[in-house]
Amino acid sequence: MLLDIVQTAFDGLMVGGLYASVALGITLVFGLMGILNFAHGQMVMLGAYIAFYAVASGLGFWVGTALAMLAMGLFGALLERAIFRRTLVDPMAGLTVSLGLIMIIENLAAAWFTPDPRFMEPPLSGDFRLGPLALSSQRLLVLLLAAALITAFYLFLKRTRLGKAIRAMAQSRQGASLVGVKVTRVSAAIFMIGSALAGAAGALYASLFAISPFMGNTPLMKGFILAAFGGLGSVPGAIVAGALLGLAESFGSRYLSAAFRDGYGFMLLILTLLLMPNGLFGARKGRI
Amino acid sequence: MAKSKFRRIAALALASLLGCAASMGAAAQSVKIGLIGSLTGPHSGWDLPASEGVHMAFSEINAAGGVTVGGKKYSFSLVEEDAQSKPDVAAAGAQKLLSDDDIHTVFGILTSTPGMAAAVPIGKAKVLYIGGFTSMDSLLGKPGGELMLRALGSDPVTAIPFVQEVTKQLGVKKIGILLPNEDVAKGIVAAYKPLFEKAGVQVPMVEFFQPGTTDFAPVLRKFQRQGLDSMFIGYSDPDAEAIVRQSLEVGDIPLRFIYRGGSGAPAVKYASKIQSFAWQILTRDLSSPTDPKVKAWIERYKAYTKKDVTANTYWALTFYDSAFMLARAMEAAGSVTDSKAIAAKLKGMRYDGVRQMRYDTDGRAFTDIDIGMIKDGKTFSVAAKIQ
Repeated sequence: MLLDIVQTAFDGLMVGGLYASVALGITLVFGLMGILNFAHGQMVMLGAYIAFYAVASGLGFWVGTALAMLAMGLFGALLERAIFRRTLVDPMAGLTVSLGLIMIIENLAAAWFTPDPRFMEPPLSGDFRLGPLALSSQRLLVLLLAAALITAFYLFLKRTRLGKAIRAMAQSRQGASLVGVKVTRVSAAIFMIGSALAGAAGALYASLFAISPFMGNTPLMKGFILAAFGGLGSVPGAIVAGALLGLAESFGSRYLSAAFRDGYGFMLLILTLLLMPNGLFGARKGRI
Repeated sequence: MAKSKFRRIAALALASLLGCAASMGAAAQSVKIGLIGSLTGPHSGWDLPASEGVHMAFSEINAAGGVTVGGKKYSFSLVEEDAQSKPDVAAAGAQKLLSDDDIHTVFGILTSTPGMAAAVPIGKAKVLYIGGFTSMDSLLGKPGGELMLRALGSDPVTAIPFVQEVTKQLGVKKIGILLPNEDVAKGIVAAYKPLFEKAGVQVPMVEFFQPGTTDFAPVLRKFQRQGLDSMFIGYSDPDAEAIVRQSLEVGDIPLRFIYRGGSGAPAVKYASKIQSFAWQILTRDLSSPTDPKVKAWIERYKAYTKKDVTANTYWALTFYDSAFMLARAMEAAGSVTDSKAIAAKLKGMRYDGVRQMRYDTDGRAFTDIDIGMIKDGKTFSVAAKIQ
């Protein structure tokens, strides 16, 4: 029984790490810039396809992941410059534009890649034994990579100049501008980093699960649950919420019913918001 | 002189008229057959090959001189409507076919959502409908479905030879069932579980997962260390491949899979890592055929369509045989327009085409099928004969 619980917890943390890497991008862009970018899930999908084709063409998983991050970062910068910068003053316009982007990106992807699901060859396969535990090698790798990504991002926010500027903007956009932070440039950087995180999440996702042009909606839904659950704009909140959601889904599917998998996350979200209306770590706007 | 010239011209004109009438009488009359299918959109993978099968069959029948019904020769012409994989377009297409009084038989859709939208009005109009979608089973033999026939074997029918063969071939003793939480899956469990148990196989675990699930690890852990030797899974290729792949990842899951699906594709990449994978080829094995009839059909299909055989080509074969069977039923009924008489003949006959098939009194097809197997890294098929 204990063995089973440990294995299920491991499954939950692994998938929670994936969710958290999507949620970080969302919480950055929505929590700090106020842009509700529904096309974030489609960036995860594009990142997954870039990694898939990189692996299929022999470049390997690591190059594929780096390419996915780079390409999505550039794509995010392009979207920010061409579209979202112009909709900052009108959140509804931004929301509508991002919904339109979902349609355009998904249908172009379906036309280009075909709607057939594909499976990427993972860098590791099979399971390994850790005492009595049977653990999936690739899942452990994904968990470690997600943890490394989240840690690196956290250190970037805490230790770098740009990170400080982002935190300053999170507290007060106007105040940051007054002390010399170039808010337009920082906004572009936030969008670029959030999109690169989506690309990385896509590559990790593709190493475990089937990818298709229509796969973006699930990570997006989970990402928004986590952004609200953890507290909008809160990086630790997104991480803790990711882990809790992954655990809830895994334990619910394992010990209750797998037919209700997505329901466990929403139950957790509703319960949390009833008790903590600002989410786990979202005491006030801009807490990162 | 003028009078005799006039007589000669009149005689020539009369002879010409009689000649024309005689030649018209000798030429085959045309029977209009309706065909509605999703020729575009996400369901076209099923219906496009099915349409090719009908076209191919009628082209061969017409080339051989058509059918002789009540002493008259008839050839077939098809009136085709594209359902575009959408129920509203399917319903509109069905109405368009029904507005043509010369159409008394319609070949229909293979997928349930647009299929229902087309089949229900056609059935109510008492036009003979030959379709294939799963939900059709709920219409057959009921009011409005008296003239409907489902050309594909339903689960209760297909399950009998499938369970017999896989149990024998794979030596199955104790299985776990893992299916999506959908109505179709409940029907599958109702059809297969008693048959496995009748064959002496224990079925201690039945689990349903949320449709759209990508991470199967938690639910697969339920099947660990349960003493199972096989997993019965279904019924879409992406789900099946994810389950096979993640079973290898999480470990301690039986690596013998019985797939209620029509393709071996989910297991091909993992053939050397799993013990076995069995699937239903709902018609005949077209990828590595041994039957000369099947081989000959494949060559004719390639020549007619200028296409290679793919996993979905067996939908073409399904409707190809059904079209030939329809022609034989028209001959036996002595009518090309009496839908009721033709349906009665179809339900009473056994057709020996590329595959053998018959319909029961409700319109459910019984056909011989092949069962695909990957075992010890080798791929082959075994035949399961018509019941």
